[in-house]
Amino acid sequence: MLVSLSQTGNRNAFAELVARRQTWIRNLMRRCSGDRVLADDLSQQVFLQAWQSIRQLNDAARFAPWLKQMAINMWLQHKRRNDPLRAADQHFDSDSPHRDQPAIGMDLDKALGALSDDARLCVVLSYHERMTHAEIEALTGMPMGTVKSHIRRGTRRLQEELSAYLAYSEELT
Amino acid sequence: MTTERNPQLEALFAKANAELDDPGFRLELMRSIDRERRKTLVVWTAFVAASIVCVALFAAPLVSALKMATSLLPNSLVSVEADWLQQLLAPVNSVAAAIALGFLALRKLYRRLFG
Repeated sequence: MLVSLSQTGNRNAFAELVARRQTWIRNLMRRCSGDRVLADDLSQQVFLQAWQSIRQLNDAARFAPWLKQMAINMWLQHKRRNDPLRAADQHFDSDSPHRDQPAIGMDLDKALGALSDDARLCVVLSYHERMTHAEIEALTGMPMGTVKSHIRRGTRRLQEELSAYLAYSEELT
Repeated sequence: MTTERNPQLEALFAKANAELDDPGFRLELMRSIDRERRKTLVVWTAFVAASIVCVALFAAPLVSALKMATSLLPNSLVSVEADWLQQLLAPVNSVAAAIALGFLALRKLYRRLFG
């Protein structure tokens, strides 16, 4: 209903869509970039692009996957542009406390920051978005073997980096 | 296809998600949408205005050029005495035919050289 209304140019309907989806998209971008400001910047661009092309969406029920695809493409484009100034700025700011970022999120971003760009993307898509290897392969254009290896190594690395959290959760269970 | 994930890490990812529902993000986005809309409106207005100016400035010379072209294009290249022969050769014996043949020849040459 909201998607259909937005397709007719209804700003309020689109604002409601943004309100409902912003947590998901902004968290996805945070996990990908590790930079809170950059993540919000890219999320803004994703929603702006969504507003501009929402009329092209044929099936309103496919809004969420369509938006996810747009977000991941936005991140891939950003990586391709490879702006060195921005890259230098990207510091995985997990040491500075943020009001809206739980400590676990900061530590997770810090651990993800230790991975390569491609490995981080594969791990985020697998764990945050719960995508299958085949879906990640299709979306990123990386070969299946590379996707699997990135996820396997990334998982191992995260397990090492986040051992304290994992040991704690093991104690609880 | 099965995709194995570490359940503890999966839970950690789920816990790490912050609730980000501040209205500031939405307001900033709606402002950007308004800015883009205004920008599009300005560009279209400028385009329409420029088109109107162009039409006003070049309407008369454009119409004269079109008139000249329509009167020139059917002219025969070679005069033929016999009426029936002139009509038979009309599709190839005209300025328009010469231009069309020239264009086709140039296209073929271009494709042969660079195709």
